[in-house]
Amino acid sequence: MAEINLKRVDEIIEGYKGEEGVLIQLLLDIQNEFNWISPEAIARISEQMRIPKSQIYRIASFYKAMSLKPVGRHIIHVCMGTACQVRGAPKILDRIEENLKIKEGETTSDMRFSLKRVNCLGCCAMGPVILVDGTYHGKITSAMVESILGQYE
Amino acid sequence: MKLEIDDKTVEIEAGNTLLAAARSIGIDIPTLCYHPALEPFGACRLCSVEIEKRGRTKVVTACNYPVEDGLIVRTNTPDIIEIRKLLLELLLARCPDEGRIQSLASEYGVSKPRFQIEDEHCILCGLCTRVCEELVGVSAINVISRGVEREVGAPYNELSDDCIGCGACALVCPTDAIRLEKNIYPTTAEDIQEIEGKFLEGERDEVLGVFSDLVAGKASTGGQDGGMVTALLISGMKNNLFDAALVVRRVEGYNAEAVVVEDEQGILSARGTKYLRVPMMSKLEAALKAGKRRIAVVGTPCEVKAVRKLQQQRDLEREYPGIELTILGLFCLESFDYDGLKADMSSRFDVELDKADKTQISKGKYIVTAGGKDYSCDVRDMEAIVREGCPYCGDFVSQLADISIGSVGSPDDCSTVIVRSKAGKKLLDAAEFVSAEVDKKQIVKLAKLKKRNADRNLATILDGVQ
Repeated sequence: MAEINLKRVDEIIEGYKGEEGVLIQLLLDIQNEFNWISPEAIARISEQMRIPKSQIYRIASFYKAMSLKPVGRHIIHVCMGTACQVRGAPKILDRIEENLKIKEGETTSDMRFSLKRVNCLGCCAMGPVILVDGTYHGKITSAMVESILGQYE
Repeated sequence: MKLEIDDKTVEIEAGNTLLAAARSIGIDIPTLCYHPALEPFGACRLCSVEIEKRGRTKVVTACNYPVEDGLIVRTNTPDIIEIRKLLLELLLARCPDEGRIQSLASEYGVSKPRFQIEDEHCILCGLCTRVCEELVGVSAINVISRGVEREVGAPYNELSDDCIGCGACALVCPTDAIRLEKNIYPTTAEDIQEIEGKFLEGERDEVLGVFSDLVAGKASTGGQDGGMVTALLISGMKNNLFDAALVVRRVEGYNAEAVVVEDEQGILSARGTKYLRVPMMSKLEAALKAGKRRIAVVGTPCEVKAVRKLQQQRDLEREYPGIELTILGLFCLESFDYDGLKADMSSRFDVELDKADKTQISKGKYIVTAGGKDYSCDVRDMEAIVREGCPYCGDFVSQLADISIGSVGSPDDCSTVIVRSKAGKKLLDAAEFVSAEVDKKQIVKLAKLKKRNADRNLATILDGVQ
């Protein structure tokens, strides 16, 4: 389980205290730092920012950019946009799922990878493309999957 | 502002909505998610109307579109009727069994939807979440997720610690949906009747609820007033009426938390009233999940309602075989916000709340004891730090408890006890105490006051319900 350092959460909250309308930014900061937003973090925000829990949960459950479940150290986004699709993205996704033994939307039990699909990464010329953390891997084949994943510990 | 609605001229102040303007001249526009006491939301789209500005027309929602000078509004063009029909067809497919949807649909001649029939009750109008947020102020539920997964619920789909069971959401819900929510405890008049019939025993008093015995007592254990809660818990545990008690104990100075205690030492550690609302239901569920079955719960009226509602709507016996809950309800006019109380005490008396020995409310006075000195003020002056939601609760005496305890109605150093069920009677019979005279009138007076205030607040909500 990806532990969330509540001290660090408090520090992030501290930076926004006394300001209005900062909830989304605050949640994004926590998301960026820990890759997910834990129940404890939500309780902390609720207490310190005096925002009811359900309102925080509402925002965090609405935006795709926020995760309410722990995610792995590395996040793989497989592009399933039209261009990638016709160039074999489904096969790539299959291969990754097979390799990591998880389905799209899940996280490996060793917390190494989380696997997500996106509808378009906006770089269709590179298709089929996958995004691992911040790095784009373009024009890939399913045979390349193993070596790409091997680059991430 | 002067505008034209369905060929009628209407003059109305700026800042009003098209809906208000139309209704002011008797033109009816159907709505589902609108309530006059709440911010307009524009979720149901049923109030769609056509507006014309500088020769151009477009469709807007009347509930949140502000009036403009010279605007031409049409509320029942063929296009608009078509929009409403489609919306109602979709709603009817989603919620085929809801009377309000059925009647609106038949009004517009919609009978058999072309779409796949679902078995939903909630139409996602958001009235419940908005009444809870904007009026009651506790925001126990919200709209969760997005798209086809959108639903109303409590965070994490777990029992809510924030819901106070006021039932405001059930009052505004245009369908049956809110009654089917599992993690909140909206307690309507019908629910109270059902719970009384199922769990309580005695004569029904209009103000104090069902009860069989009303006594005042003083126990030797110490605690608030006569210390009767502490005494009942200790003797109840000794006599094997329960194995554990869920009580509220001070931590970190004055702040408090609910804990499960299993011996006399634990019970004694929770002596004294805190006048704070703390997360309770999650602790109860955790205790049940941890295998505790025979639990005494000490709670304020809102917490008592929550536990009863749980017993009423869930098959707890199947989930937790052998479950046996004994509910000790407290008298409660309102609770305070910890941070607010702390700041208030500091500015009012220069008293550090966290170091206070005791707090007490007696005869309309709030009394805090610190450093061997008493400081007191009128409770009425502390309105600003009353917890959100309390003004919507009309239960002073924990009407649904097995046994209710409070200071009002008995002499100083005594507690009043109201027995409401067999379990409550057993508990009182097991306790040792010196009895005293009860002044029922005092209790009735405060109970009526609280009920009246809550009814007034709830009336604002009821007035706008269609």
